[in-house]
Parts: sequence; C-alpha cells; structure tokens
Amino acid sequence: FLGIHMEKKKTSLLKVILLGDGGVGKSSIMNRYVTNKFDAQLFHTIGVEFLNKDLEVDGRQVTLQIWDTAGQERFRSLRTPFYRGSDCCLLTFSVDDNQSFLNLGNWKKEFIYYADVKEPEKFPFVILGNKLDVVERQVSTEEAQQWCQENGDYPYYETSAKDAINVAVAFEEAVRRVLAIDERTDHFIPTDTVKLHRKPRSAATCCS
Amino acid sequence: MSSSEQTVDNMAAGSVHKVIFEHQGVFIQLSSDEEAIEQDLLISGSLQVIDKDGEILVEYRPLEDTVDLSNILCAGKDSSSVMGCTQGPGDRSHQLLETQQSYETEWDMVNAVSFKKRPCTNGEGSLNHSHERSRWAFTFSVSDLRSITVKEEGWAFLICKLKDSSTPLPVLHFHQGGSREFLDSLRRFALLTECPDDGTCLLVSTPNKALSQSFENLLDDNSFGLVHKFRKDPYVTTLGGFSKVTNYIFDALRGTEEQHQRPPEEVADLLGEVIPGLEINQQEEPGFEVITRIDLGARPQVMRREPLSAEDWTKHQDPEGRMVNVSHLKQVIFKGGLCHAVRKEAWKFLLGCFPWDSTLEERKALQRTKTDEYFRMKLQWKSVSEEQERRNSRLRDYRSLIEKDVNRTDRTNRFYEGIDNPSLVLLHDILMTYCMFDFDLGYVQGMSDLLSPILYVMENEVDAFWCFVSFMDQMHQNFEEQMQGMKTQLIQLSTLLRLLDLAFWNYLEAQDSGYLYFCFRWLLIRFKRELSFHDVLRLWEVMWTGLPCHNFHLLVCCAILDSEKQKIMEENYGFSEILKHINELSMKLDIEEILQKAEGICLQIRSCKDLPHSVSAILGFGTEVSGSNPTDCESAAAPRATQQQDACSNRHLRETSSHNSCKVAFRL
Repeated sequence: FLGIHMEKKKTSLLKVILLGDGGVGKSSIMNRYVTNKFDAQLFHTIGVEFLNKDLEVDGRQVTLQIWDTAGQERFRSLRTPFYRGSDCCLLTFSVDDNQSFLNLGNWKKEFIYYADVKEPEKFPFVILGNKLDVVERQVSTEEAQQWCQENGDYPYYETSAKDAINVAVAFEEAVRRVLAIDERTDHFIPTDTVKLHRKPRSAATCCS
Repeated sequence: MSSSEQTVDNMAAGSVHKVIFEHQGVFIQLSSDEEAIEQDLLISGSLQVIDKDGEILVEYRPLEDTVDLSNILCAGKDSSSVMGCTQGPGDRSHQLLETQQSYETEWDMVNAVSFKKRPCTNGEGSLNHSHERSRWAFTFSVSDLRSITVKEEGWAFLICKLKDSSTPLPVLHFHQGGSREFLDSLRRFALLTECPDDGTCLLVSTPNKALSQSFENLLDDNSFGLVHKFRKDPYVTTLGGFSKVTNYIFDALRGTEEQHQRPPEEVADLLGEVIPGLEINQQEEPGFEVITRIDLGARPQVMRREPLSAEDWTKHQDPEGRMVNVSHLKQVIFKGGLCHAVRKEAWKFLLGCFPWDSTLEERKALQRTKTDEYFRMKLQWKSVSEEQERRNSRLRDYRSLIEKDVNRTDRTNRFYEGIDNPSLVLLHDILMTYCMFDFDLGYVQGMSDLLSPILYVMENEVDAFWCFVSFMDQMHQNFEEQMQGMKTQLIQLSTLLRLLDLAFWNYLEAQDSGYLYFCFRWLLIRFKRELSFHDVLRLWEVMWTGLPCHNFHLLVCCAILDSEKQKIMEENYGFSEILKHINELSMKLDIEEILQKAEGICLQIRSCKDLPHSVSAILGFGTEVSGSNPTDCESAAAPRATQQQDACSNRHLRETSSHNSCKVAFRL
C-alpha cells in the first residue's frame, strides 16, 4: 500500500529510506528537507519515524514518505522490517567520521537483503556525505566519489543539514532516479493494461 | 500484469510448506476395539505443525514415515527459497522454537517418567508395512479444530476434537514431553481459551496471528490471503480476522485505489459475502465473539493523591534511620509520587540501592564501598591509552556513540543545556563506566535517556551511577542483542489489549499492527520520550513502587491506547498512520490522567473472576503471597545483591510467568 504509482499526473507516493550509522545526521537531513529547520539539540532517534513531503519533479506530483531509523547495530531486527517496499534508499555517512563511510557497504548489503530487492544492481541508491559544515573532514570528496562509482555508479551529494546545503537537491535526484526506472518499466508493459499498476516492488508479492 | 494477479498465480502454482513445530516421540494408542489383539498397542511418531500455503495443519506420522518428513523439515529450515514466500527473511520461526525449547528444563518432571517403548518386531506384523503404518497417520487443519482437552497422568496427553465430530482423532500421548511446546505453537495461529465448564478443555478459534507476528514479516501484505481464506471458510475466518475483512471492504467502498487492484467481479462477490458480516461486526453479535470475550465489568474510578512530602518521608524513619511501615509508604508514593525534595533520597530505596531496613550508619558504609567501586571502574576506561583503544573496536564504538548521544539527550532541559555543560561530562562518564560494569551490554541507544532523569535527581555522579545500575537491572533485557525483553513485552501487551478491547485489537490486527510495533519507544525507555521531563520523574517513581501489580507499565500503555483508539478507528488509520499518530503523541500526554486510568484498568482486571491465566501471569495476580521471595535475584552480580525485590520484579516475574503459563496447560 506504500509506494503506489498511479496514472501519470496523479500523485505518486514514493517511499524513501534513510540509512547510515548512528549520529551521521539522518534525522537532521529529514527535518531540514521537510520542515526546513535544523535543531542541533534534536534527540537521537529511537525506533522508527517518518515524515511526508509533497513535491513536483519534472512536472510530476510526488509525495515522498521519508523513513528515518535508529542507526545502531543492535536495533537491526526492529528497523529492517520497514525496508520493504522502499522505492529508494539514501545511504548516509558523515564526512567527519571515517567509520561511518567505511560502513556504507554494510548498510547497502543490509538494505538489499531485508528490502528483498529483486535486481539490486538496478535499485536506486543515492549517497549522502553529511556534515559538510564541519571543518575537520575525515573523508575526502574524491574517496567518496570513487566509492560511489565503484559500487554501482550512484549519485553522490555532500550535504549539510545544518547549513541547508544540497539537501533538497539530493532528494529530488532520488525522485528522478525512481521515476526514471518507472519509465523504463512502463515500456515493457503493453500499453492497454496500464491504468493502475504497482511499480515493481516487493512488499506485496514476494515470490514472483 | 498487476502484481496482485501474480500473487494469485503463485499461490495456485507453487506450494509452500513450512514446518513450525516438530516433536518426535508422540504416541498414539490404538483403541482396543480396533486392534483387539494388541490391546494397548502404542505407536510412536512425529507430530508437526505445518504452514502449507498459509493453512496451518497438524500432521501426525508414525515413526518410519517420519524419515521423509524430516527431509521436508530440512528443506524448510535451510532453504529460504522454500519458506521465503510467506515469511520473508526466514529464521524467525526457528528462533521462536528455540525459545520454546529453552523452557525444556521445566519439563524434566514429565520427561523423567520412564516409558518403555514397545519394540516393533516383525512378529507384530501389520505395522511394519509402510502402507499399514501410514494408516495411522493423520492430518487436520487447525481451523477445523474445535477443542483440545489436556490431561496428565505422569505424562501429558491431548485429546483433539474436530468441529466435525464424526471423525474422532487418536489421543496424542507426549511421553517425551513437548505438549506444551505443541500448544504454544498452535497459539501462534489460534486462540486457545479455557472452556468455562471444564478447565482442562481448551476451545480453539482461528485465525490469530498477532502474537506470532514476527518483526520480519510485519509488512507482508496478507490481506489477499485473508480474503482467500474468507471465501473458503467465512465462518472461521470471521472469528479472528473479521475487522481485516471489514476494513478491506470499507476501503473498497471508499474507493481508495492504492490499496487494491482486484477485478470488479471479485470485489462484488466479496461484498456479497461480507455485508451480513458488517452488520454483525457493528452490532457485535455475541455469537461471533463468545469465545474470546470476557466480561470485565465496569472500570472503577480512582483518584490520585498529593505527592509525599519531605515531612511525611521523615515520619517513616526510625531514630536509626530505618524506614518503617514501608508498604504504606509505597502505597502513598504509588498514589501521588514524591515531592521533588524527597526524590534524591527516596529513589535510592525505590530502586533498591539502599535496603529499606538499613540504618543510616549502614548506608554510610555502603556509600563508601560503592564510591570506591565506582571510581575503580571509572579509572579502567580513563586509563586506556589511545594505542589500546585503537585495538579495541568495541570500546571505541561505545565511546563514539556515547559522545554523540550525550550531545543529543535532553539538551533543552536547563540541567543539560548549553555548550560545555558539566552535566554532559557526568552523563558521558557514567555511561562509559557502565560499559566497564557491563561490557557485554556496553552502550545501547536509549540508555542515555534512562540515565538523564536519574542524574538530574541525584546531582551526584556516584549515586546516579548506582541508581542507573539498578534501573538497568530492570531494563536490561530491552537492550540485549536479541531484544528479547522488547519482544516479550510486546506480546504481553498484546495479550492484555486483547482482553481489554477485542474490537480495537482486531482493528490493529487488520492494519498489520497487531504486534504493536508503534509502542516500541514507549517500552524501550519507559515513556521517557513521550512525557515531559517532570512527568517522567513522576511515572518512574510510581512504577518503582512495584504497585499495584507486576508490569504496571503495560497497563499504562493500555490506558494511553484506550484514549487514542477512537481517533485511530474513526479516522481509519492504516499501518503507517497509526505509527505516526502514536509517535506524535509525544509531549501531549497527561501523566496523572494516564496513571488514574491505568490503575482503574488494574482494578477492573483484578476483579474479573474468569481471568485467563496468561493475563494473571503477566500482572502477577495470585503470585503476590506465595511467590514473593526474591531468590531469582541470586544470579545478579555482586553490586546488585543489595537490591530489594521490587527492583527485581521484572526478572522475578519472568520466572513466575513461565511457571504460570505452564499451569495453563497442565493445571490439573
């Protein structure tokens, strides 16, 4: 029931999930994007939360449902059920925390496994290097770009939730990637059957 | 092709088996009129509960036949492709089985009964031919089951009766234990309620998925499966999944396109079948709910009282400083909490850092040893060099996360606000020292939330640490690797909610929310994020009295849900909207109102005569008199030895509750 793509010109509901180590700024990125606010004193997330945001991308109305989870390893069993049905995954690290960068691969693996993605190589990941505002970087832009290139040619954005840099751009790119995949899929479906259809996703059908 | 059609194809084409339960050494007795020669011929076999394309079957196979079946079992266990279809990432059921088996020790009594298996020699003829043996195999669907009668004669045996009473089933003898596990596995799919006239007889109603709903499969779209079942067997499906169907129909009528892409004729068919049901649901016709409905009677109105004053606290102390009339004192604290000035001292008693009957002198001595002990542990992490830390990834990870979280805990509270606030250093140091105290657990997110109010009240590093240690003793399981504490609490809460409000529980079930995931944050950190800081202090001290029952915090959950259910049901909230609604209650709740309601619910349940044992076990009813000896605390580490029983109540309850649920099956 999430991520339903309906006739064009109608609003599509896209489910996007933010993943990454604890403290890289997932909630701050979500809040910056949805409410355009930043609160340095925000609590760390316990459990799972989500916010909706309406936007228009290339003339298409989209409602983004952005899911934010607790990043600590321990909470895996409580967070992974929410992966299913995601249309896009924003893998997040913090440029001042090398470990969070090294863990990107694990997050990707965890997502693909639990989201039950059919064609992982085609799934739209977007990589965010947050905390651009922090002076002491541990991860260089080049390193990050190289990782993105080697791991599936993912778009990479350096963001600052604090200073509102690149956050909206990154989400819009995520939406474009999802819609682009839709377009491609549409071509494979005989036109007379396309009135209402689910995007290729796994929440409802798990053994196709 | 739409994906819902794909589901149809797959359901029709592929057949999916999943073994949910298996137990060898279950015997059936051939009745004498059938087998006149061997009057008490016993056949040993294996009993399984199988999920076959969503239908839950109980299957009994005599010994030799079990070879084939064990192959199926292996396939089911090892290959996620076999079981993946309905369950998603698939080790959940094994984990469940493992937890069930961990109760096995309690069954020593049953297992110890010596039983000599009748040798099956060639001379006995007929039973050795496989087709003859398989004569005694049988299978039935749990949904066809009317009742199970539980008897015990040194071993347990179960008499299963089908709804169609013309086919009697052989009695199942569990000479090698396992009957309770078998019943537990059925409870995952069916509601077993004691027959009012006969306590040994459990009535079966299906389906009932909530208690078994694992986190892994909570997003599985099973509404189709339900509709499918409903069409096959509307009566049985209606019992448990009724609101699921009505909800589906409501959606269909409202024309929310997102949810369903079914052919119009199918929807029409379905409407035809369901509309009488709609009436029944709205009028709550007793015929449909008689099995699970227990009349709880009216909820008593209770009043809250004023907080305990400093003067009253002092009045409860004798000249040497021992607390006197402790049960009255606890009662007063339960009814009104503490005024802030008393908290610093009283919390140490409530949390069990100080024994109630200790003298002032004894406490001073205790304080000295505790202070030494604290700083010894603090020195341990303080003296780790950078070099060492580089080679200690766990310590590094704990430290890194503690540093991050300390800066994200209660920062709007004056006690923690601003840059370079010394309280933040204390918060950090206490959490780091706790890692040394319990390195296996280390630091888990949520712990800073539990510490923050304690440090705020204690205003002292050492006292705050030991109070935190005591509180963590109660909360430990919530944070452990498998989060067993969380799972247990969610199941217990579900049990309570079903008793209190079946209609709401059914609604949540229908929204795939029956496992109550949205209460996760409430339970993990005891409402710390839901209430204002001062209300948290109030709630916690009330809870720490251990009154008026075990697991009072679960009734607090029920009280809040009771206030929200109307909104949730009227707005027809779905899975994610429920989660959002509950998340957004944060800081909007009134603690005195909630406590009042929760206490009322406790009295209401307590006055109920036919309370299911599962519920009395959760709330500790009936164990207060005999079962209050806190010997279960023995396993606690040395610093915890000073704890009083209420600090141990959770651990204690876990023990008693497993004993109690054991009684459910084998009381007689």
